[in-house]
Amino acid sequence: MSAPSVDLTLAALADPHRRGVIDLLRQRPHRAGELAQAMRLSFPAMSRHLRTLRRSGLVEEGRDEFDSRVRIYRLRPDAIASLRSWLAETDAMWARQLLALKAHVQKARK
Amino acid sequence: MTSKVFISLRLPIDPMGAFDAFTREISSWWRPDPLFRITAQGDGELAFEPGIGGRLVTHLDNGETFEIGRISAWEPGRRLVFGWRQSSFSPEQSTEVEVCFEPVGKETRVSIEHRAWDTIPQRHAARHGFPEHVTLQRVADWWRRSLAALLGGLRPAG
Repeated sequence: MSAPSVDLTLAALADPHRRGVIDLLRQRPHRAGELAQAMRLSFPAMSRHLRTLRRSGLVEEGRDEFDSRVRIYRLRPDAIASLRSWLAETDAMWARQLLALKAHVQKARK
Repeated sequence: MTSKVFISLRLPIDPMGAFDAFTREISSWWRPDPLFRITAQGDGELAFEPGIGGRLVTHLDNGETFEIGRISAWEPGRRLVFGWRQSSFSPEQSTEVEVCFEPVGKETRVSIEHRAWDTIPQRHAARHGFPEHVTLQRVADWWRRSLAALLGGLRPAG
């Protein structure tokens, strides 16, 4: 799978249920059924959220090591890293732009 | 849970002057950066189309105009809110930028809040006693604390 893009990551995280899933997966990988139960969602509704999260690259699907019929979900660290770097770049970008604005205002007043 | 970048800086000008400089003169002060590009062709020449429903656009060297975002609040001397989309984003995905202009004596504190997905408006920390003499104050809460925790939590598993 290619590197997840930040817009898909942001879109995936726009939903509170999906953010809840991310919080649960931070603790450990979960089965889809466990996630549905914990979030009080129907199994089909949870499947849809998991599909979105998978497409965003935030979450990956695997098989339970003891029962290969059971699907388990876990976080993909590289997706979080790409979001984190976008936010860090955005922070640095506005810091630079505000300093440029200040320099511009100071120059105009001289 | 929120994800936002918050940054503020004091400018030696009154709030109306700061608002005008920010909006009307953006093409004069905006500094393109190779690490953070609005479009693949570069940043181009930025321009605000004033008023609610107006746009922040950039005019690229190849003659095209790229819409960065729609303006949803235009309060000269006080507040400005606009959408923010880089060309690498999908068409329906946008983030939001809120710029506030607050008088501090004869000067103005300009603060920028760039919200990634939690778009619930929040009162500015600046109104609740930001340190007066800090010239460049940065607060970025969720991404620093929670994402650091997130990455920390990932290490044992991955």
